[in-house]
Amino acid sequence: MKKVSISFTLNGDKVTAEVPPSWTLLKTLREYFELTGPKEGCGTGECGACTVIVDGKAVNSCIFPIPEVEGKSVTTIEGIASKDGTLHPLQKAFIENNGVQCGFCTSGMIMSAKALLDHNPDPTEDEIRTGIAGNLCRCTGYVQIVASIEKAGELIRQKK
Amino acid sequence: MVDYDYKKPKSLKEVFGLLKKYGPKATLIAGGTDVMINIRNRELSPEILISLRGLSDLCYIRKNNGYHIGALTTHRMLEQSDMVRAGLSALHDAASQVGSVQIRNVATVGGNICTAAPSADTAGPLLALDATVALEGPNGRRRVPIADFFTGPSETVRKGNEVLVEFDIPEEPGHFGSAYWKHSRRKAMDLPLLGIAVGLALSESQEISNARLGLTVAAPVPIRAYKAEEFLIGKRLGDDVLVEAGKIASSEASPRDSLRGKAWYRREMIEVFVPRMAKLAAERIRGE
Amino acid sequence: MSNLLYVGKGTPRTIEVDKVTGRAIYINDLKLPGMLYGKILYSDYAHARIKKIDASKAEVLPGVRAVLTGHNIPDVRVGFLRDQTVLKKDIVRQFRDEVAAVAAISPEIAEEALDLIEVEYEELPAVFDPIEAMKEDAPLIHEVDARGKPIRTNILPLPWKFYAGDIEQGRKNSAYTVKDTVSTTWVNQCCMGTSGCVAEFDMNNDLTFHSQTNVVFLGKQRIMEYLSSIGMRGRNVRVINPVVGGSFGTKLDTDIYEFICILLALRTRKPVKILFSREEEFRALPPRQPAVFTIEQGCDKEGRLTFRKAEAILDNGAYTSWGATTPSVMVMPMSSLYRVPNVSFEATCVYTNNIYCQAMRGYGNPQATFAVESSMDELAEEAGIDPAEFRLINRNQSGDVTPMRLKITSCGLEDCINSVKQKLNWSEKRGKRKGKGVGMGSLIHVAGGARVYKSDGHGMIVKVDQNGHIDVLDGGTDQGQGSPTIISQMVAEALGFRPEDVSLTLGDTGLCLWDAGTHASRHTFMAGNAAVRACEKVKQQILELAVENIPKVVKSGFRRKKRNDPDFVEPDLDYTLISKPEYLDIKDRMVFPKSDPEHPFFRIEVSQIIRDALHVGTGESKVVMAEAFYDPPTEMLDRELKGNLSCTYAFGTTGIEVEVDEKTGEVKILQLFAAHDVGKAINPILLKGQIYGAAYIGAGYGLTEEMKLENGRVMNPNFLDYKMLTAKDVVPVEPIVIEPGDEDGPFGAKGIGEPGLVPTAPAIANAIYDAVGVRIKSLPITPEKVLAALKEKRK
Repeated sequence: MKKVSISFTLNGDKVTAEVPPSWTLLKTLREYFELTGPKEGCGTGECGACTVIVDGKAVNSCIFPIPEVEGKSVTTIEGIASKDGTLHPLQKAFIENNGVQCGFCTSGMIMSAKALLDHNPDPTEDEIRTGIAGNLCRCTGYVQIVASIEKAGELIRQKK
Repeated sequence: MVDYDYKKPKSLKEVFGLLKKYGPKATLIAGGTDVMINIRNRELSPEILISLRGLSDLCYIRKNNGYHIGALTTHRMLEQSDMVRAGLSALHDAASQVGSVQIRNVATVGGNICTAAPSADTAGPLLALDATVALEGPNGRRRVPIADFFTGPSETVRKGNEVLVEFDIPEEPGHFGSAYWKHSRRKAMDLPLLGIAVGLALSESQEISNARLGLTVAAPVPIRAYKAEEFLIGKRLGDDVLVEAGKIASSEASPRDSLRGKAWYRREMIEVFVPRMAKLAAERIRGE
Repeated sequence: MSNLLYVGKGTPRTIEVDKVTGRAIYINDLKLPGMLYGKILYSDYAHARIKKIDASKAEVLPGVRAVLTGHNIPDVRVGFLRDQTVLKKDIVRQFRDEVAAVAAISPEIAEEALDLIEVEYEELPAVFDPIEAMKEDAPLIHEVDARGKPIRTNILPLPWKFYAGDIEQGRKNSAYTVKDTVSTTWVNQCCMGTSGCVAEFDMNNDLTFHSQTNVVFLGKQRIMEYLSSIGMRGRNVRVINPVVGGSFGTKLDTDIYEFICILLALRTRKPVKILFSREEEFRALPPRQPAVFTIEQGCDKEGRLTFRKAEAILDNGAYTSWGATTPSVMVMPMSSLYRVPNVSFEATCVYTNNIYCQAMRGYGNPQATFAVESSMDELAEEAGIDPAEFRLINRNQSGDVTPMRLKITSCGLEDCINSVKQKLNWSEKRGKRKGKGVGMGSLIHVAGGARVYKSDGHGMIVKVDQNGHIDVLDGGTDQGQGSPTIISQMVAEALGFRPEDVSLTLGDTGLCLWDAGTHASRHTFMAGNAAVRACEKVKQQILELAVENIPKVVKSGFRRKKRNDPDFVEPDLDYTLISKPEYLDIKDRMVFPKSDPEHPFFRIEVSQIIRDALHVGTGESKVVMAEAFYDPPTEMLDRELKGNLSCTYAFGTTGIEVEVDEKTGEVKILQLFAAHDVGKAINPILLKGQIYGAAYIGAGYGLTEEMKLENGRVMNPNFLDYKMLTAKDVVPVEPIVIEPGDEDGPFGAKGIGEPGLVPTAPAIANAIYDAVGVRIKSLPITPEKVLAALKEKRK
């Protein structure tokens, strides 16, 4: 298979991937960079477990062609805690408010929530639910996920 | 095995060159939320994908002498545009309800229309707003009313060497409002069982001076309910009139039984939602 | 029970931090050196004879390492009734039948190889309706049984029959009776993590199996039996769980793909992974069993139930997994939800060419409770009694022994019904019929284990090391319910440590002791009881070491001081304070005399005591470790399906207010109160998580979810067309936690994993009836069904 060279910023680092152009961003993250936080729950953009942030926007990496990442900035769940190990407020809030059960949707869920809070640190419940409507969860009924995101918003606002 | 080359031209001219070179081996991709899924499901196996995302000058929402929307405008841009919310409410309703934020962030309105699914969310509003589609090919640009654009499920008048570049929507004189109802089982991540878009112009005396109804999933292609429109024009807005219009629109539709919904139910819902959406459009005109 | 430090608190799930950082390793993420990827070829027909399988082109595809068909693997039957082979070589009986499998160096090559396998079929007549399938001239799904004996019917040899009391007498005693038929359909468990496993043999032919099973020991047993049947008797198997992305019943049986993976690993001598796509998850995993119930009930003038008679027909699909045993759970609500003296319940499982079924959260209970609770409302109306009042009249009570011989030790049902009534403002809102209405449904479920195997035991090992850290080896599994946190709270409480001092290892047959599995809402109850018992022993060991070592520690301290300060005078201490283990206690990792907890010399850190007991130089050194095996005093069901199979039972009531759009048939849940008798909430936050999640799945079961099968084929194998609820589909669940405390539960707790789902769908149906006067008798309650019923009613 022919390979192409794609350069972009991944969790703050400049990287280059040598992968076939038919790979998706998800496949590249998981197999080339061994970042297995983003998950494949469906492969067709219907569950959101693969959600990452590209240039500030949440996208389904499972249907995002890797060549489209050239020159862009990609953030995954692995890139949101501080380098010193301090968890992102969303990560803290998900743990403290039982926003996690089986955890399979969690990486994507947190990335959707982050994309939301980055633009709007004080969202309404409806805005939160809209922000994560593309992230299916089978365990929680979403209630404690919404609560976690609300709490994370509070933490973020306090810091500012 | 999925294996294709990927080209990301920077200009339409380059696109036309690539289309000419690769012909049917190539598939155009915009946001890719349909194309990538079709490839994964093996419904599509192109040798080459030609990405339109390099054509950044096709990504805009402008108003001068009517509204102009670039084909690569994402649903999210429409959702977040106050201009669209105020002036093209039905399109705003539709764009905000497509898939999820993740999908809306990449899926384009041009792609939604070119895929030409009977359930395309933006098709109904564009019909109700009387949009014109601009297609550009190596020999220049042509304009097609959206009502003539769809020729069958996944089929349009767009030729293989053409690219949909823009939607033009006239600015309606006087008091105009529009609304779109997506009838679906869930509030997100869903396709419409039925889409109903209503565009309405009202005189000061609440007389309907113009009406357009766009229906999706009501026929093999998105349709206008012309007879219902004709019935409405010139009448005073009122419950009886709207109920009758719903019935006429329903009779114009030819929905089918499918896995997602039954034809009888779709017909009934046309009757229910034509009046409801007309009322919503009227409320919007009154600024309620 | 008072003064609990950790039990009853909302301890956060810090122990699972890897799940929020993307570091948790699910089966999807597990990669072993040299690992191959397995893929499965499924049938093209619902029922057909295989005339020819030609895999020669696949075998020579570069990158392919093995191609298996029914012709090159041992011809051995597997499954609960041994009614199928791993790969099918003669007849396929459903679309998900596994016909061939490939292992290759990449998933893509394996996929490509599948395309190269040519299978010729001769289509056979098929049957997709269980009632049709019972007819004499119906096509036979199986011609012989596991022993080769001819089969003449599609009815399974599983006679589920339960009788108690005298139905005819009950009928005679009735002032009112109702009879109706209700039905439920296939629903998919929808684990967000798809199914998968990794199998690896060493050169001794011992197998390490990375499996998502929630029954590691039973899974191991099945695999060892299989290996034995293919000539590998005596080889060892170690089953290890990765982090599991949800279970909901899917991991209870050993699925065919797991046997295939093992065979591929054996053939290639390499680690092999099989990972399902979402489409496979819908097409090739057994969903929840559909059922049709005919249910008849009666009550006397005072509203007391006189009898309940029900018959169920279950579409078994083409083979038999745990779905066929769901009647053993259905019998529980049928016989024991509310006091009913005379009961008859018969269930018939029928082979068809549809997909076969297995467990899903609630295991038959949601189906049966939909029947019972729909009928309860109908009977209440017939008798002219308020449905809530009717339920209160017939409520179960502590001390009851039900017709099934379930011993109801603690029962909060009355509180549940009343609190739901009050929260819903029931009396005010009911009976208005203006498009809004209220309804309720209750449940009974096992909550103290479930003796479905001869052992319902749970083994636990607790060890405390010289650093004062606790490792717990728990024979159960965690599929996301939060057991590591719950167990760490209980261990910390029982031992006088902090939850953060506890590490959990679950789901590993190589390290842990037998557990019957994390199913039947049993883990908190069983593991909790085992933990309490193990911790008692561990604590005793620590205190014995303390008696031995505290004086040594104190005295050596004095000697040191004397060396540095010749004037130091050793205080006169009363060493009898610490002379017996029972005089001591542990809190916050400190050992101290009970009589003087703040004693300036006798208050010593546990780690120091353990270190001193270990590093003795010459003499007998000791470690601190204990195991407990808890097997509750319960019975297996006897031939009549009677027996007290659980140590205690959960009760609950869900009350719902809905709004129905009479023009569109759409139903909106305005309020949902889920009251549950949980015994004692070990962790209220995690407990509510179980209730929220279960109620949400229940709402989906009631309103939107269905696998659509057409002639045996799953037509909606994706999340677009399978309508799992999203975050935008708000179901305003409010849990009401009732904590009467259970005498047998650890710290008073009952199991709560499944209950929240069970009464949700009937409560919705009942509320819809209250709102608009139509009763929808089949799930899910779609807008089409509601509108059709409304139109029918208007006629």
